Formats: sequence, structure tokens, C-alpha cells
Amino acid sequence: MKFRSILLGVALAIACAALPALAHHAFNAEFDRQKPITLTGKVTRVEWANPHARIYFDVKNEAGEMVNWDFEMGSPNGLMRNGWRRDSLKTGDEITVTGWLAKHAPRVGNAGTVTMVATGKRLFAASSEGDANAR
Amino acid sequence: MKAFLVIAVSIMLAVAISPILLAQWPDYPTAAVPMLPNGQPNMEGPTPRTPDGKPDLSGIWALGRGGGGGGGGRGQRGQGRGDVAGGANAAPPAGAPAPAPARGAAPAPAANAGPPVATFFDLGSGIQGGLPYTPWAAELRRQRMADNMKDNPDAHCLPIGLTQLHLHPQPRKIIQTPKLIVMLYEAQGGVRQIFMDGRPLPNNDPQPWWYGYSIGHWEGDDLVVETTGFRDDVWLDVNGSPLTTTGKMTERMRRPNYGTFQTDITIEDPKSYTKPFTVRVNHRVMLNTDLIEFICQENEKSSQHFEPPSK
Repeated sequence: MKFRSILLGVALAIACAALPALAHHAFNAEFDRQKPITLTGKVTRVEWANPHARIYFDVKNEAGEMVNWDFEMGSPNGLMRNGWRRDSLKTGDEITVTGWLAKHAPRVGNAGTVTMVATGKRLFAASSEGDANAR
Repeated sequence: MKAFLVIAVSIMLAVAISPILLAQWPDYPTAAVPMLPNGQPNMEGPTPRTPDGKPDLSGIWALGRGGGGGGGGRGQRGQGRGDVAGGANAAPPAGAPAPAPARGAAPAPAANAGPPVATFFDLGSGIQGGLPYTPWAAELRRQRMADNMKDNPDAHCLPIGLTQLHLHPQPRKIIQTPKLIVMLYEAQGGVRQIFMDGRPLPNNDPQPWWYGYSIGHWEGDDLVVETTGFRDDVWLDVNGSPLTTTGKMTERMRRPNYGTFQTDITIEDPKSYTKPFTVRVNHRVMLNTDLIEFICQENEKSSQHFEPPSK
């Protein structure tokens, strides 16, 4: 059992080490780690640009209205080194995003993971998840 | 239990290998890499040397382990692993067989030898009691942290302190010539010149620079770089340890083997610190890759979401 814990720890350490870093600004300057969120919607735009790639996607709210969300990811150089390409996400793709809400901006968040609904493919190292506890 | 082990090991392998399968553009092989009999790069191979016999620091360098976290939390890590050819540690583990030293090369240091290793968030994370701040510096750092470091120049696409560049998760490139060494940093497109032509540090009250003014000389296999002429508002780390115009930075850079680049940094700044301190940064070589353009201003939207300063 102890061995299993160690092994799991090693696996997590390797996974975390491969995550790209949120180097441009401190996580807490913009986001609230106490406000995790999971959203599913359709991609409306991808901004593959520095200092952060951003995905915009429409999500139906509780009132049935479409609301557009803006989620920040890592920088393109870091995402590229972890396998992303600028066309990894396309307009119309249905995605599930887990992440954290911004402190002071509505419908803005930081993406921890992005999963393609159609295939279940999780776009590994989508963002700054590994820095969620970083200041 | 057995099934669990198989799954766990499979996940570890998949995670470790996946970036390699997705190598980035552009991909061009690094020349003259020492190889092991098994065809893998020999990171503990001999230190490359220039025609004049000096250690050749040229190459692309990733932040090594031990320099990425701490301070405010888990902190920053190296960029993707697929193009980082170094081992898990910049220095070989204690007890490991010593690599055959190159001609005149310093032996590879033990993992726990030398000054405390700095982190991106906290330069003094390895120093008991932290950095020796003056009351002015301690209060300034406290305020910067209370504001969630939102005014770190990095967060506004401005040049960051040299020690942040040393510790940044984005890689850096060294171009070495006999009279001039140039360091290119992917982070914020930083460019640094180290003059090796024997000139002294300027004493004519130069216009302070973000990166200061650097001169270097060789002491054995160590490149010693002295830098003064800093601006008054330098952030040495993400948590906001200051450096001012009274500051001086002395770096001792070395390449103890093929895959390792090591810098011991001594900071003196009587306005900010009650005494000098020295910390270490480890880097490991990156092969078959190059820097990727990073133009921070092209789509900066984060700062409009920063919270107001706490008072």
C-alpha cells in the first residue's frame, strides 16, 4: 500500500513537471484558486498569441441563454513544447474546460484542462494547472 | 495490485514520452553532442571548449531542477520535457560515479554542494531565515506580495530582473565569442551583453538599465561576470525581492560537464540587503531545438483583470 502511494506520487510528480508554467504573471494576481469551475460549450474563437493563448467558448447558462466565456491558457511557446498546435482547437469544437474563475472579471477563467467532448481526448498540459497553488 | 501497477507505470511512461512524440517546430539537430554507447546523449560528457581552451558555454539552456518552485507555492517548472535532454538533476546525484573530467574541467558538483539553490519565486528559499532584507526592502517585498505581485514587470510585458531571467521556465541561449558573450532569453525577448574585452565597469553615472552593464573575465574555468548600473526598481524574484541602483551582481558561471550549466550569483545592495548573499541556479542543456519567439505585447489582456492594490 505504501509502495502504491509512492508510485502514485511519482506519477503525479512526472505529470506536474510536464505542465507548462504560467510565467507571465502570478496566478493570484488574476485568478482565485478557491473558485474552481467546470464548463462545457462550443469554441467560438481561439487566440494563439502571447503572453497567453486564450479560448472563447459559448456555454448555456441556467436560464438557457448562451454566454461567451474567455479562458486563459499557457503561452504558445510552452503549449507547443507540450504538444499543442494553433489548430488543436477549432471553432465549433465542443469542449469541457476545468479551471478557476478570475477574481474581478466576469466570465473569465484560467484553464486547467481542456477535454474534447467528441473524442474524450484531453489536451494534456492545457494550461497553468500546475501553478494553481503558486502565488 | 498488479493491474494497478501496470496502469500506473503506463501512465508514467505515456506522460514522460508524449512531448517527444509531439516535438515542436523547428527541429534541427544539435551538432557535436557526445553520445553514449546506447545512442543517447552523454550529459556527463566532457565540457566543450573553444579554440582558445575556454569552456564553451554556448547552447540552449533549460532551468534545472531545484530552481523552479518554492516561495509562494509549487511555483514554476521547466518547459516541456521532450526537448530537454538533461537528466532530472543538473548535477549528478550524490554517490553517483564521478564522470571522467574533461581537460581542466571542474568535477561535476554533488547535488548538495555549493550555495543554496534559488527559486523563481523566492531567491532566498534555500537560505535559512530568507534573504537579509533591510527594513525598507522587507516592507517593499511585503507590499508587493500583498498585491499578489501584480506589478512584477513580467506581468506588464516589461523586462524582468536578471535573476528572474536565470530562473524563468522559458529557456535561454548563450552565444560565446572571445570578446563578447550574448545571452538571449526567450522570456520577454531579453538580450544581455557581457563584454569580455577588458573594459572596466562604467563609472560615469550611466543611465540605469533594466539589465545593468556587464563585464566578464575568466578565472580558471569559471566565467566571472560583474554587473552594475541597474534601475532602482528591479524585481530579483517573483515575490518582489528588490535590487536598486546601488546594487551589484557578481556571477560565477561554469559548465562542469556537457549537459550542465551552473551559475552562483552574489548580490550586494546596501539599500536592500544588510549583507551580501550568494545563491545558485542550475541549468541543463536542451538539444535539437531553439528559442521560440515570445512577443509579450502582442495580445496582453491579463493585466486588465488584476485586482486593485490592497491597502
